[in-house]
Amino acid sequence: MAQLFERLNDLKSVFKYGQKLIPIIQSLLDFMSETVPLLENINSSITESTSKIPKAANQINNVTNATELATTEILDIIDIMLNDIIEIEKQLEDISKIKEEKKNIISQVKQLAKNKKVDKLLADYEQLDDFNNRYTLISELISKIKNNSNNITLSLQVQDITSQQLAAVNHLINSVQERLASLILNLEETSIGDIDSNKILVPKGSHFDPNANYSKSDGRQDMVDSIVSNHKTSQDEIDKLFS
Amino acid sequence: MSLKFLIVDDSVTMRRIVANSLRNIGYTDFIEAGEGKEAIEKLVADDKINFIITDWNMPGVSGLDLVKSLRSNAKFANLPILMVSTRGVKDDIIEALQAKVSNYIVKPFTPHVLKEKIEQILATV
Repeated sequence: MAQLFERLNDLKSVFKYGQKLIPIIQSLLDFMSETVPLLENINSSITESTSKIPKAANQINNVTNATELATTEILDIIDIMLNDIIEIEKQLEDISKIKEEKKNIISQVKQLAKNKKVDKLLADYEQLDDFNNRYTLISELISKIKNNSNNITLSLQVQDITSQQLAAVNHLINSVQERLASLILNLEETSIGDIDSNKILVPKGSHFDPNANYSKSDGRQDMVDSIVSNHKTSQDEIDKLFS
Repeated sequence: MSLKFLIVDDSVTMRRIVANSLRNIGYTDFIEAGEGKEAIEKLVADDKINFIITDWNMPGVSGLDLVKSLRSNAKFANLPILMVSTRGVKDDIIEALQAKVSNYIVKPFTPHVLKEKIEQILATV
């Protein structure tokens, strides 16, 4: 009997403890009921964002393709310009030769005529013909155009550099998408619609320099030259030791 | 010495720019490849190629792998190879030199720098 009362007392304390626990459990349930919709919201937001990522990646690829096309078109025009310049240079050379021949003829006419009036007319004619100055001026202009086209070509290298930067961004986007997809799979047993078909298309073996940097500064090439020079010197010393 | 260049780069733009620059400095004989494997095939098929200008970052066989592969073959052990890359970090350049590139240009480059490096390489051949 004493044992029975002892057990009943135990039960009583369990019930008392349970009564104390009920409000805590209740508040836990309230918290859960408030949190679950929030988690569902987060889940659907992640799902939505994840499904949009491939579109962003494709748009980046489109930008790369468009800039490559535009750059090629500009290079085509530069090619035409340079070919025209080569033709102008050829024509100038021909004109220069004709000028020399003219000079010879004038000198022969002078000798044959031996007439002061003819000499005067020919001298006036030569003065009018300001070929040498014009030739120099045109040559300088051609050289300037060539330099400018070289500068355009130099600037167009930015396309290759930015395409590598964009490829790096695409790679990053791909990694984020994979992480988000795995997060969703962990949050809920269901997967996002078509995770596999949503996957960003990165060509196999695609290689890019994530640190590609567009800088016209001579400093970078100078640094490279110095490393090359040091390496060659030490290599020569090694070669001497073994020869 | 008559030079025939093989320009190796996955970027159409860069191949055009290298070709334009070569033409600009007086070299007119060149062919192109989009990556390392294609470059090797073209090199094997054309005995006249005696100078390679290659990028580093390419899909498939990279520029560095191309250099290593060529240097391991006695026939191409002394073939002039100029690397033109966006990689300007010291460790990368040393890696390229250890793979035995003949010289190195960091992008963006001018035709003047290209000419200078080609002449430096030819002076040592």
